[in-house]
Amino acid sequence: MDYLQYVDTDSLLHRLDPRTKFAFFLVMAVVTSVIKSGVALLFLFAFFIALWCTCRIPKYILILAGKLKVLLAFIFLLWLILGLFEPPVVEKGPIFFQTVLPFVNGQSIHLCFDWYDLYKGAVYALRIFLMISSFYTVILTTNFSEIILGLQKWKIPYALAFGIGLVFQIIPMIITELKAIMEAQSSRGLEIEECGWATKIRNYVTFSLPLLFRVMSKGQAISLAMHYYQLDFSVRRTAYKGIKATAYDAWFIIANAVTIVITVILRLYFYIPV
Amino acid sequence: MDYKVNDISYKYASGGKEVLRHVNFSIEQGKVTAIVGPSGCGKSTLVQIFSQVIPKLLANGELAGSFDVPDKTLVSVVSQSPENQLFGYGVEDAIAFGMENMGLSQEEIAERMDYVLDLLSLQYLRSRSVATLSGGQRQAVCIASVLAMEPDILIMDEPVSSLDPNGKRMVQNILKQLRANGNTTVLVDNNLVWSAGVVDHVIGLLDGEKVFDGTRDEFFRDFALQEKLGVIIPQEVEIYRQLSAHIPELELFYTVEEGKKQLEKLIGRKESDIGGLEEEKKETVVSVHNLSKTFEDGFHALTDVNANIAEGKIVAILGQNGSGKTTFVKHLNGLYKPTEGDVRYRGSSIIHKTVAQISRNIILVFQHPEHMLFEETVEKELSFCARMQQVPFTPEQLEEVLKTYHMEEDRETFPLNLSMGKKHMLTILSVLFSSADVIILDEPTLGMDGFLIRELKAMLEKLSAEGKTVVMISHEIPLVFQTMDEAIILNQGKKIFEGSREALARRSDIFEHINIQLPAVVQLSRDLGFSKICYNVEEFAAMVMERRGA
Repeated sequence: MDYLQYVDTDSLLHRLDPRTKFAFFLVMAVVTSVIKSGVALLFLFAFFIALWCTCRIPKYILILAGKLKVLLAFIFLLWLILGLFEPPVVEKGPIFFQTVLPFVNGQSIHLCFDWYDLYKGAVYALRIFLMISSFYTVILTTNFSEIILGLQKWKIPYALAFGIGLVFQIIPMIITELKAIMEAQSSRGLEIEECGWATKIRNYVTFSLPLLFRVMSKGQAISLAMHYYQLDFSVRRTAYKGIKATAYDAWFIIANAVTIVITVILRLYFYIPV
Repeated sequence: MDYKVNDISYKYASGGKEVLRHVNFSIEQGKVTAIVGPSGCGKSTLVQIFSQVIPKLLANGELAGSFDVPDKTLVSVVSQSPENQLFGYGVEDAIAFGMENMGLSQEEIAERMDYVLDLLSLQYLRSRSVATLSGGQRQAVCIASVLAMEPDILIMDEPVSSLDPNGKRMVQNILKQLRANGNTTVLVDNNLVWSAGVVDHVIGLLDGEKVFDGTRDEFFRDFALQEKLGVIIPQEVEIYRQLSAHIPELELFYTVEEGKKQLEKLIGRKESDIGGLEEEKKETVVSVHNLSKTFEDGFHALTDVNANIAEGKIVAILGQNGSGKTTFVKHLNGLYKPTEGDVRYRGSSIIHKTVAQISRNIILVFQHPEHMLFEETVEKELSFCARMQQVPFTPEQLEEVLKTYHMEEDRETFPLNLSMGKKHMLTILSVLFSSADVIILDEPTLGMDGFLIRELKAMLEKLSAEGKTVVMISHEIPLVFQTMDEAIILNQGKKIFEGSREALARRSDIFEHINIQLPAVVQLSRDLGFSKICYNVEEFAAMVMERRGA
């Protein structure tokens, strides 16, 4: 199962105009960049969960979360460790551990592990997760042909829109190729399972050569096919399918607007500086 | 009006080797022209010249002569890998792509789309996504997308090389339909097994020169030329070739029915008196117990499969695409772990071992050689498995293999620069140096011409004689019947047959069930009532002559 790919099903998000979904991602990217309130972000998270469940993609989001767990754990720990060097911003709340360590020139370092460090780590990890998952919500529900159509409607030049669509078409192919190369080499005796990190990294370098050649040959085949289909970016082309906003888009925009308003209100009432 | 190939010569770089030399012929309008020849004969270069890739995209070469066609002649190409040619998520998107590039109106696109989908009987695929199509369906959609552009000449470059029998049949039917419709089609393929019944005109190329230009029947009667070009021909034509030397009145035939009719007249027909089967005692080297596999997305690829692979035998795994063949063999070498069940090598379970550990006993050669090749030279690639598994080998052994399989000249060549067939042969040769005594080959004939297939067949027989076990997935059914001792047949993830070649040859019901044709020699042996079933043409011809003399 490839979490990066479009999920072919029928749902509210699938029926939306791609432009609405692009706008959703852009707005959510801004909101998650600006909002740093744990309560507000939890509300937004609940909205996302409802959206994923409605559109029958929660299992793909779980796979995404699994892939992101190392990154999210790193962000959580990073902000937790940075927080150790700061006193609690809010007086209330438990302090688990604190001490003063002597430092050079008679100076000292105050270490304080309190609930606020955990809060800060969780808020930053949640923001990153929401930002990335809003992008994947669009990718999982918009196929690359719709992406191209949507971008064209936004007056993006066809060459660029086609290139972006092609990337989404090619990425799953490259992932499949890499997997096949790894399987083929291990089948010939290259140990890739029971080996240390250094060997693993060396193996990836080894795999990169056949992968590069496969990608190059695919690239060459694709450029030949573009020629066979008379693709010429300097010539005006037509479109067989059109896209049009419907009542679904209006309802989706309203639901998002309400969610953002509530998120902002929650931010105003429950904000702890992070 | 015909399209003229007028004295074409070509070099990819000035001062380089001429890959085409003074090639002249005509492509007849409304006919199917096949261009045949071994790897490197210049077939692909001709396709690039016809489609204007040379000189539009590849402008550095030296082109002399011309491809004389009227102004605005549209030439379109269907390549051997439709996944690299289909642009668009859905079938409609992919078919519309070329027409959108031509600037056609929405109404005209809709009209032409309906027409090609009806013509090729593909309406049922219309609302599907390309990713969910089988290989044959993708190739059919690819042909539809190109036809919708209404090309004057349609070129098909090895269009069935990676398809299963169902896919081949689908493309074969489309080719028949195009011929009946009066489309001008050029088929570039050294395998004429699937297209022999449809081709009108054959052009033979060898080392960049035209060596044959004639009708299909003329080509199939020129045995020496077929040999020289390494063309893979239908087994029916091979039978004709073998028998016509002794029976001059025999007429060329392309189907089992035609052959049966003629042979019945010559030798009569008897009631089948094929003897009973003798059970052979066998040692099991790999056993599979109640194997089931369900993937993460819930797809049940294998259901409760039990099988025993006998030591020193050649075992064929047969079935249509999607029947679970590759999933099955990937369990044998540990790439997949069973959802339920066990796989044992000489009685010990292998499921907790790594793939590299298992490869010391059971080794798998993949279908696409590009996934396996990554050394700088052919010689180093050959010893890769031995080095990984620390199996001793000598330069003399390497030398012998290079010599036996005619790769001495390629010793220092970068493996990825070899022809597809040679790349595949190299990956197979490299496992000869491993310690494994069970060798699994997944579609070993892919990209091979007639010469390489003959070498592969000899290699399989040698491995079997040395006591090695070979497990082979292949859609080349005549080759499978010539070489295998036993077969396992899978259908929709379930085993539906396991037994000897002799037992399988008696079960035409199974082949009907999985929609695969038995080889012509097997069908004719049974239909003509021979006392034993023949598996190769030589044996079959000897039986015919024996009955004729009797």
